[in-house]
Parts: sequence; structure tokens; C-alpha cells
Amino acid sequence: MDEQRNRQAAQRVGANPQSVASKPVAQGDEPSSRELLNAWLESHRASLLDSLRRLARQPVGSFFTCLVMAIALSLPMGLALLLDNVERLGGSWQKAAQISLYLQLSLDEREGPRLRDEIAALDDVAEAEWISRSQALEEFQQQSGLGEALKELPENPLPAVILVTPKEVDKAALEALRLRLAELPGVQQAQLDLQWVERLGAILGLGDHFVFGLSLLLILALLLVIGNTIRLHIENRRSEIEIIKLVGGTDAYVRRPFLYMGALYGTGAGLLAWLVLAFGLDWLNAAVVRLAGLYGSDFALQGVPLDDGLSLLLGAIFLGYIGAWLAVARHLSELQPR
Amino acid sequence: MIRFEQVGKRYANGHVGLHELSFRVRRGEFLFVTGHSGAGKSTLLRLLLAMERPSSGKLLLAGQDLAQISNAQIPYLRRQIGVVFQNHQLLFDRTVFDNVALPLQILGLSKPEIAKRVSLALERVSLSDKAEQSPADLSTGQQQRVGIARAVVHRPALLLADEPTGNLDPRLAAEIMGVFEDINRLGTTVLIASHDLALIARMRHRMLTLQRGRLIGDGEAS
Repeated sequence: MDEQRNRQAAQRVGANPQSVASKPVAQGDEPSSRELLNAWLESHRASLLDSLRRLARQPVGSFFTCLVMAIALSLPMGLALLLDNVERLGGSWQKAAQISLYLQLSLDEREGPRLRDEIAALDDVAEAEWISRSQALEEFQQQSGLGEALKELPENPLPAVILVTPKEVDKAALEALRLRLAELPGVQQAQLDLQWVERLGAILGLGDHFVFGLSLLLILALLLVIGNTIRLHIENRRSEIEIIKLVGGTDAYVRRPFLYMGALYGTGAGLLAWLVLAFGLDWLNAAVVRLAGLYGSDFALQGVPLDDGLSLLLGAIFLGYIGAWLAVARHLSELQPR
Repeated sequence: MIRFEQVGKRYANGHVGLHELSFRVRRGEFLFVTGHSGAGKSTLLRLLLAMERPSSGKLLLAGQDLAQISNAQIPYLRRQIGVVFQNHQLLFDRTVFDNVALPLQILGLSKPEIAKRVSLALERVSLSDKAEQSPADLSTGQQQRVGIARAVVHRPALLLADEPTGNLDPRLAAEIMGVFEDINRLGTTVLIASHDLALIARMRHRMLTLQRGRLIGDGEAS
């Protein structure tokens, strides 16, 4: 009788009554390793698509979350890029550490180039440039705006100058070189203006510290933004998470779509930050070029280098992922069932 | 299959959910757990699902001691159990097919295998034509049957149901119980918590009666 009823029940569910009888508890067949791998990949694909769909379903909200994150990212990155540009504006350290040799007024004009060649031949000198008295006056007239007044002078008061660029930028070595050059015949005065270089270095160092501190603060803010956003997503899907856990979903399974969501927010924020910086620097560049032109310089701001842009994007994805991971880890532990 | 040995459950606020409960359930058995509200039926199911741990005694499920099981092992334990809730616990933003497929996706089965098993499970509860619909478009009885299909689609060793007919009229309730009996005949141990004594009496299966956390009766319903 029971056998007959079993056969009928099996037929109703499309199962084989023989296999039912031989399998007292009807557990599922264990999938192979290959099937598990495929299923794992499929699960990742499904989580990614699901996260994309959920973000696309709230385009305005998703955009503003990315924008807030992008601003948090672009502030320190923008400052770092500006500092890079300031360093470039100040020239290389080697160039900034030039020694100016003011030659005696009485020195014969033909002695200048000879002295320049002598200095350029020194081992610790990279380059030496001679500026004649007439060249010096001409430059001064152009740069000072006192052209007409200077023409009234009975004779040129400016000395010829040799600009010496040292190979090494070491304060002690530079000072030793300056003393040596000051002893050369025909040299009136040797001037090493390191102070402004040191000041610029200190200012840039301070800027670096500021950018580092700001970066830490804004990374924290970014983690809070992504954490709070993911918390809201978790709250919206609380019942779904509970069901998944009750039917045997692991924490990793539950966590996966939220991690993808964090990474997607990071991707959006990274791309937006890159755009903001690129357009921001381009916009600022017009004013900088005009200002630099007034000083006779062809300086222009450098945009976002490709490697910096890619680092920004990868960093944003990583931060989005980490923010989501922290949020999910914190909130999953509070959810019942465990 | 299930062994309760002096199992007690005391909550942090001092309330005693279960009091030294001892009984055994054989593999493939069909039994009811009954009692008034607060008798301990839901606590018993929550212990079996490892949603809570016993405060004392020993609770074995398929040889595993649920008092000692680690958090990491719990999802794997639950994969051997199907569970049906009174309020169905369905995901309304997914189709009936996707709801039923969920345990199989978690198990990591291939897409064709999932499709095959889901079709079979929906056929079992007579909902093959509703696969692509949202559960929100179904009647209460149909929603419950979706819940049952999801609970059995991965062929669990144990099926737990908490007041599965609580919201259904007598005709639908009898129909749902028929589905449970079919599943049981295929080898699955079925444990149903219900306070519907009339329905239980008609089924003539083993019945555990709880009162204030104590087992006061264990025998065939009559």
C-alpha cells in the first residue's frame, strides 16, 4: 500500500520512486568542483549585475553619492597636483641652487668668457653661463620697467655675471664651491641664494604634510559615506538577507553584492574625480598661463597624468570596496539569524 | 534524525522557552508539534535551525550537536533543512522561479540543473504556470505553495514548517498538508509546528504536545 502511494507521489513530483526508496533522506546530489567553480563565477556575475541594476534604479541618488565621494577624493589629489606644479615652477633643485658670480667692473670684457670656460671645466660644475654687462643692463631695463630712466645714466652700473649651476645640491658642498669661486681672479662677489630654495622646500614640505593629513581625513569621510550608503542598502534588503541566511547562504554570499556595490560606487567616484580634476586644472590653467605670461614665463599647469589618474581610479575602487566590507561586516553581525 | 536530550532554553531576561525537553525523531518521520501560543513550538524550530543555541542539554541533528556547532558551520547545516514560514517570507522583487531557485543558487548548482529542479518543485505544488510571475500577484495559498517549493527544491533531509496553514482556509490548509505528506513519502523528515488540532487530528501522525516549554504529550494524533 505504502509502495503504491510512494509511486503515485513520485509520479506527481516527477521523481524516480526507486531512487527515492534508496535515498531515505532526499539530499541534493553534490556538485563537482568544476560545477562549483562555474557556480561561483556565475554568482559573482549575478552579484555584479544585480548591484549595477540597483544603482541604475536610483540614478540620481547613486550619482550624488559618487559625487560626494569624488569631491572627497579630488580635494587632496588636486592639492597634490598643484604642489607638483609649484615644484615644477620653482625649477629643479639643481637649477634653483645657482651661484651668481659678479665680476669686477674693471675686468676686461674678453676675460668673462674665458673665466666662464674655466669654471665650466670644474668637476663639480654642471653649467656656467656668462652674462655681459650690456646684456645685464638690457635685461634689467626690460624687467624693471625703468628703461628710460636707466638710459639717462652716464655709464652702465651693472657688472658682468657668471651663473654657475652646480652638479650636486648639497648645502655644504655648495658653500665650499662658492668660497672657491669667490677666490678666482676677477670675481667681485660670489652669491649663493639658498635661502629661498630652503624656504620653498619648507613650504612644499608643509604642503605635503597638509595634503597627507587632508587625505587621511577625507579617506575617513569617504569610508563613512560609503559605509552609510551600504548600511542603507542592507536595511532595504534586510528581509532578503534573513531569507538567504535561513536557506543556507554564507556570510560571503550575503556580503558579495554589497562589496560589488561599494566597488561600483568607487569606480563612479574615481572617474568623476578624474573628470573634476582634469576640467578644474584646465580651467585654472588659463588664468595661470596669463599670469605667467606677465612675468615672461611660458609656464602652464600640467593636467592629470595618466598614471596619477589610474592610481586615483584604483584607489577609489579599493576604498569603495573596503568601506563596503567594513559596513557589511559590522551590520551582518547585528542581523538575525546569524 | 533529531535527538533532544534534556534540552533547555532560558533567555537572558529569565524567561524559560523550553524545559528539559527529551524526544527523538526517526529519519523519514512526519510529526506535529502543537501547543498554545508561548508553549515553545517556535523556540523548538529556532533551535533546530540554529537560530538559537540550547542553554542546557544535548540537541543532535543528523549526528551534529547544535549546541557545539560553529557559526561558520551553520549555513551548511541549514542547507540540509527546508523551512516553511507562516508569512511565507518570499522576495517580492523576484519572480516565483527566482524565489524557488534561491537555495539552489546558494548550493552552487548549474543553471540547467537549477531550471530542472525548480520546474519539478513548482510542478510538485501545481504552480508551473506561475513561474515568471511575481509572488505579489499570487493568492495567499499560492504564496504558501511557493514557500513550500523553495523549502523542498534542494531536497532537504528535514522540512520544518512553522504554522504553515495559519492564514489559510480549511480547504487550502488540507491541500497544503497533502503536499507535505507527498514530500514526506519521498523520504524527507517533516516537522510541523501548528496549533490547528482539528487539522492535526485528521492527519493521524505523531504529535508532540508542549505546554509552557514542557513536553506533556507524545503520541499519534486522534
